[in-house]
Amino acid sequence: MAPVVRITNLDKYFGRLHVLKNISLDVQPREVVCLIGRSGSGKSTLLRCVNFLEEPSDGSIEVDGIQVHSHGRGKEHRDLVHEVRLRTGMVFQEFNLFPHMTVLENVIEGPVTVKGMDRTEAIALAEENLDNVGMLFKKDEYPARLSGGQKQRVAIARALTMQPRVMLFDEPTSALDPELIGEVLNVMKKVAKDGMTMLVVTHEMGFAREVADRVLVMADGEIIEDAKPNNLFNKPKDPRTKALIDRYRTGGG
Amino acid sequence: MKVDSTIAAASKPANSQAELLFEAQQKKQRQFRTGVTATWGGLLLILIYLFSGQNFLGIQTIKLDYEFMQKNVVFIAGGLVETIKISILSISLAITLALLAALGRLSTFPPIYALSTFYVSLIRGTPLYLQIFFFFLALPQLGIVLSGLISGVLALGLNYGAYMSETFRAGLASVGKGQREAAIAIGMTPIQTMRRIVLPQALRFAIPPMGNDFISMTKDSALVAATGFVHEVMWRATRVGRAQFNNLEALIMAAMFYWVMTLILTYVQSRIETRLSKGDR
Repeated sequence: MAPVVRITNLDKYFGRLHVLKNISLDVQPREVVCLIGRSGSGKSTLLRCVNFLEEPSDGSIEVDGIQVHSHGRGKEHRDLVHEVRLRTGMVFQEFNLFPHMTVLENVIEGPVTVKGMDRTEAIALAEENLDNVGMLFKKDEYPARLSGGQKQRVAIARALTMQPRVMLFDEPTSALDPELIGEVLNVMKKVAKDGMTMLVVTHEMGFAREVADRVLVMADGEIIEDAKPNNLFNKPKDPRTKALIDRYRTGGG
Repeated sequence: MKVDSTIAAASKPANSQAELLFEAQQKKQRQFRTGVTATWGGLLLILIYLFSGQNFLGIQTIKLDYEFMQKNVVFIAGGLVETIKISILSISLAITLALLAALGRLSTFPPIYALSTFYVSLIRGTPLYLQIFFFFLALPQLGIVLSGLISGVLALGLNYGAYMSETFRAGLASVGKGQREAAIAIGMTPIQTMRRIVLPQALRFAIPPMGNDFISMTKDSALVAATGFVHEVMWRATRVGRAQFNNLEALIMAAMFYWVMTLILTYVQSRIETRLSKGDR
């Protein structure tokens, strides 16, 4: 089966800082891949390169058969990047809901403005996804009136309503109060169960262990370990992985 | 999700603590507003009384020449058309220039950034009065002859455009990077991102100060009277006032016209603010 995401020989520099070092990675359909690692290890940058929120310095990204090279320029390149973005849904740490739009308007914005979908059709699709994340009852509220967990669930519905091939989660629970993390993780589990391909940057070891098909450990811009969660958490090969896991264990995570 | 519905159900009973607090706050606000309105009414009555010509407790109030006022009120009011025309044309020009200058200030391309800051610096560094005369009196020397109205509109538009660009720039800067990223991530083009996500939020931030600028400009349109060729409110008031040495009456009438215009604009401004503030709470 062809992978949904294929990252090939990816490098990223910020000036002279080498943050991603020759990364290659395939994500298969319906696979849930969790990226863990200390802050500054490059995991968020890698995720943001997939939909070109960060422009890679070298290498290529392929999403659902659309391949984009890092050195592309001009309209052709922009069109390819656009195609990639249409096939990826992104969930941010800070939710980034549009504060001047209601929950429903937030969710239909993409389909209507970007895809030119008929409004009634978009609303039906949006309501279905809002219902899925348990937020349909707040569809006419503005984001300012929602809790952090509720905002993040709406953000997930907004990304899903674009009907992406892969969902990218960038530390989706890191900005949440501890008691609100569970509701977001539950929604993510549901999305995974429904067969969505997912690439998740997270500090939630419990989630990685329970939901992920594969866990990747990043350190210093490299993937130092790539294993099934059971193997990784029970028999970490790299001492850095062991240190990372121990830190969360002793920290009560 | 279950937790939410229980909270929603618990807050259903009419007299929850939050609702009682809200009610008390509302009552306090209503009382405050009533007090303010009553005091305004009192101050207005005192002002009218001051110009009533009555003798009260040995204080002789100011007596105005009502006959003159009656005869000339229509003439001065006739200037409103020109005043409004200048204001609307100037504000349109100002908003266009301000938006361009503000976008220029956000540009990472040095020449565009420099052009924008150069314009703002040059215009803000010179008096508006001078600018009006520059267009009206100095340009003819170069063979460019502009009417009083066009000179006024150009000067006011350029001038307020420079000031308002700062307002716009602050508005655009107030929209977080995350908003642009979220828009880009769902596939929006830069133009869609600007139009649908950034500008609505920036405008909401910029509307109150923009309203102030517009109100201020409406009054500064009086400076165009100095060209002597635009028969707006100020020009008409000084003309009849000087001719018959009734400057007091003429200027009071003009002042009232400007004040009423300002009140109307303030009202419109507050309505727009209410409409734009949706989503704040």
